[in-house]
Amino acid sequence: MGSIVLSGRQLQRPLSSLCRSCSRRLLPRLSRSYAAVSSQQPDIYDVVCVGGGPAGLSLLTALRSNPTTAGLRVALVEAQDLEKVRSWKLPPDRFSNRCSSLTPASAQFLDNVGAWAHLHRDRVQPYHEMQVWDGVTDARIEFEWTPPAAGKTIAYMTENLNLTSGLLRRIDELGGVTVFNSARVAGISFGEETEDLDLREWPVVHLASGQRLAARLLVGADGANSPVRAFAGIESRGWDYERHGVVATLELEGEGWGGDAMKIAYQRFLPTGPVAMLPLPGNLSTLVWSTTPANAALLKSLSPKDFVALVNAAFRLRPVDLEYMHTISSGQEEELAWRLQHTQFNRRAIPQTVVGVQDGTIASFPLKMRHADTYIGERVALVGDAAHSIHPLAGQGLNQGQGDVESLARTIEFSVSHGQDLGTRMSLESYNSERYGPNHVLLGVCDKLHKIYSAGSGPLVPLRSLGLSAINALGPVKSFFMEQAAGNGIKLF
Amino acid sequence: MKALPPCLRSASSRHGLVQNHALQRRQQLPIATAVLCSTHSKSGRRSFSVLNRPPPNYPGHVPLTGLERAALAVGSGIVSFLDPYRGDMIAALGEATASPYFIERLRRAMLASPTGRRILRDRPRITSSSLNLPRLRSLPARTVGGTYVAWLDREGVSPDTRSSVRFIDDEECAYVMQRYRESHDFYHALTGLPIVREGEVALKAFEFANTLLPMTGLSMLAVATLRPAERRRFFAVYAPWAVRNGLRGDEVINVYWEEEMETDVDALRRRLGIERPPDLREIRKREREERRRVKEGAAAQAVAS
Amino acid sequence: MPPRIKPALLRQLRYLHLPSSPSPVRCTSSFPSRSFSATTASASASASHSSPNSTSPNSTFTTVSPDEVSHFNALASSWWDPQGPSRILHLMNPLRHDFIRSCRSSVLDVPPPPSNNLKYLDIGCGGGIFAESAARLPTTASVTAIDPSPEVLSVAKAHAKRDPALRSKLTYLNTPIENLPVPSTPQDGYDIVSIFEVIEHVPYPADFLDRCAPFVKPGGWLVLSTIARTWLSWVTTNLVAEDLLRIVPKGTHDWRKYINEEEMKTYFLQKRAQWTEPRCMGVVYVPGLGWKEVPGSEKVGNYFFAVRKVPDTA
Repeated sequence: MGSIVLSGRQLQRPLSSLCRSCSRRLLPRLSRSYAAVSSQQPDIYDVVCVGGGPAGLSLLTALRSNPTTAGLRVALVEAQDLEKVRSWKLPPDRFSNRCSSLTPASAQFLDNVGAWAHLHRDRVQPYHEMQVWDGVTDARIEFEWTPPAAGKTIAYMTENLNLTSGLLRRIDELGGVTVFNSARVAGISFGEETEDLDLREWPVVHLASGQRLAARLLVGADGANSPVRAFAGIESRGWDYERHGVVATLELEGEGWGGDAMKIAYQRFLPTGPVAMLPLPGNLSTLVWSTTPANAALLKSLSPKDFVALVNAAFRLRPVDLEYMHTISSGQEEELAWRLQHTQFNRRAIPQTVVGVQDGTIASFPLKMRHADTYIGERVALVGDAAHSIHPLAGQGLNQGQGDVESLARTIEFSVSHGQDLGTRMSLESYNSERYGPNHVLLGVCDKLHKIYSAGSGPLVPLRSLGLSAINALGPVKSFFMEQAAGNGIKLF
Repeated sequence: MKALPPCLRSASSRHGLVQNHALQRRQQLPIATAVLCSTHSKSGRRSFSVLNRPPPNYPGHVPLTGLERAALAVGSGIVSFLDPYRGDMIAALGEATASPYFIERLRRAMLASPTGRRILRDRPRITSSSLNLPRLRSLPARTVGGTYVAWLDREGVSPDTRSSVRFIDDEECAYVMQRYRESHDFYHALTGLPIVREGEVALKAFEFANTLLPMTGLSMLAVATLRPAERRRFFAVYAPWAVRNGLRGDEVINVYWEEEMETDVDALRRRLGIERPPDLREIRKREREERRRVKEGAAAQAVAS
Repeated sequence: MPPRIKPALLRQLRYLHLPSSPSPVRCTSSFPSRSFSATTASASASASHSSPNSTSPNSTFTTVSPDEVSHFNALASSWWDPQGPSRILHLMNPLRHDFIRSCRSSVLDVPPPPSNNLKYLDIGCGGGIFAESAARLPTTASVTAIDPSPEVLSVAKAHAKRDPALRSKLTYLNTPIENLPVPSTPQDGYDIVSIFEVIEHVPYPADFLDRCAPFVKPGGWLVLSTIARTWLSWVTTNLVAEDLLRIVPKGTHDWRKYINEEEMKTYFLQKRAQWTEPRCMGVVYVPGLGWKEVPGSEKVGNYFFAVRKVPDTA
């Protein structure tokens, strides 16, 4: 598997880069002295990023778009075929089921690195209000900005593929990233010492194709089961929630109660986990329903009309009705029709009725809480899911990754502009100290929320409703949470 | 970016403090209402006064204000305590104290059971016309129907002596209350407890442990009106039985009695996890005979001497 | 006052790792001192202070005391340990670049002096913390780093081997400044001559600086860092550490060698010709936050000082 050079510009890189000149000069010498030991000497990079998901691609975009770090020699190793991402295209009325909520802070960062303009903007849906309520007690909290900022965006819903394909287009435009596409990492080891070069502390990525990449900084953007994290010997701790997140692309009866200009996100806490409906363009919405693995299996096995009925029920009926409707293998639609006659709710406080689900968009994935002990090691940094996995109830997973990338890119920029070796632990310290605390707090908050709302009865139920109502009534506290959710106030922690 | 205080929508509108401009307000009202509506039938109570009573939610429904409901509870409670045979007062007490929480709980218990859901959907009524009593008399004595009709005949009561629910706001909950009330006689049949005061108290204790309806608990205050020997028996025999079986047994509200007429009553008790209490009528008869014998013996002695 | 906290730490470091030879500065106390320079100076300072007698003008400096050799062997392993005793020195390094950058950009020359292909001379480079970082900067053409201690220099060389980016730009020479050939023409001089944490250990600073001066290119900068000599630094480094607590051998610290910013200015601008545009920046170590620039702190604690060689009036 050869490397795909994204742009011819790589050959004309300015002399100012840190290591590229030497690496090229070194190679012939290395191959002379070590020809017998290995057929191919490692190619030397400043940054090797393993994983071409949102976090990895954002990092490379940030590095390439910043004049200070643009001189770095960077490589991307991705196991999947990025061509599929690059050529991703869906009809305007079809949406992928894997969507994320991008906070204004994340969107600003993507704009700063020039990637935002490369997203299909007509597939990005801002929303301006959130309705969150307790499925057991109906205690409710409404998030929306006060008049001076009314209509301000709380977050943007976007398909993950829209984001990654946009980032790839931006990287293509910037050029200068050596991409190892569909490349499996066969192993990671440390480099060797030669007569005039000591790479014993440098990670060397071995690709299945036989290529070897020595990295001044090896970035693990390689997901929850990060091989880079394993190489660095960094433990990741946490637990499984024994819950699955069920996703689907839903068709609603209309554009939403606020019309196109005032989209609303809904989340209802059920004893089995929160169910959320987040607006997409037009009359589409994306579903994220955290529930038990058994319920998730049932949801996936239902006929479309019963699935739709159960989703509508999830936002309307009592938990006892939902519980029953998860015990029958069909007939949810009829059950819903009956129960709706005997259930009171305000139609305008809940999402509009779901009328359909797009084919093949019902899927599920297990939910976990994980946090790495540290994000850095000598010449290793972890970003995104490699560093942490969060319960999706606050929609912060992707944003945490973007926050990581922004911080790491800033840390690398500081190192480059001050002549630090950007891969050393010393240089990476500020990245870890900037991100670990805020991420830890957010992970903890979402974990506690999950646990508090998992109770269907008991003393916790009235207490949590009291808490939700109190927050709803306390302007400053609510605005604090809103700022947190929008990604503005995270530095307070 | 500066923190902007989000408006206190639900809280402020509830107290009429909304100061936003008109457009904002129009959007807010439905959501404020949603909060108010949230605990089901509450909205009915909050938004009306004695002078402005809303239309009934079902035929026979009498919407009450909170104050009226409390007054009804206290009044009917006192009368029931003084005269436990005032069925209408016991019924009113039951309704006044059941909502919103306890009748909700009972409905939840029904919704959690497939049979309970079927009952709620079918809404069967137990009356002398719906039951076909002659057919029940032809059933073997060990069946539910046979036991029930035997019990009716022995006690000399009719299924039609139950008053209609009037004070529960939610229409479905009203049916739940109605169903509970109409099933009551089947509980007598199921347990074999007589409708004498002692039997009623024991059954109420069982019902309280099983349904948690407050009225059944309050009815147990009638234990104070029992004779000392009965009260001792109640605490020694029937109260432990009632608590044990009421809590352990399945929700009796979920029995579709109309479908169980031909079921063996012991089989049904086993299915529900309920043991038959000592036959109160037998005990009382034995005691009466004992007393008579003692009395006769004493008289004979007196004659002899 | 922030400066009080920091030096205490520094002092401890030095203490643990500096040679036991009488000459190196050493101070310890739970109180402030402004002896920072010493710690870091360590190796670099060794050039000048390790045998003060030999630094008289025109003499050739060649020897390093055996005590120091063993000390630097011990120090060598920890020099580049980010959690080791040199941590605070590592943390200070980015500020040196900020200071140099601000000096260079403060010049109002027309046309502005070139900002690329800069040549650095780092005198008393020690393990090479500054020299390596200067060599990594994209604006740097070359860095020549000298230190008289062969042990320290071998540490520096071994460490530089770990970074392929340094090979073409960084040259280490095991020599005191006295033995380094003076540029044949002024234009062959260096854009930046750096003397970090050295001067306070030099017995004859004026002579030493006179040796360094010819290496600065006209229009180039001589940049140094040291500690001010004030009552505060005397109390902490001499009175408390040496006389009262006796945790430092008497005579270790020569407080009189500390040089104040005004004395620097007097030396360069009044007693010598060719120098202009003095710059100064006081810095303070705040635990938990790192080094911060604190205007005015140059009067009492650690400070950077730079002066520019008068450009050729072409």
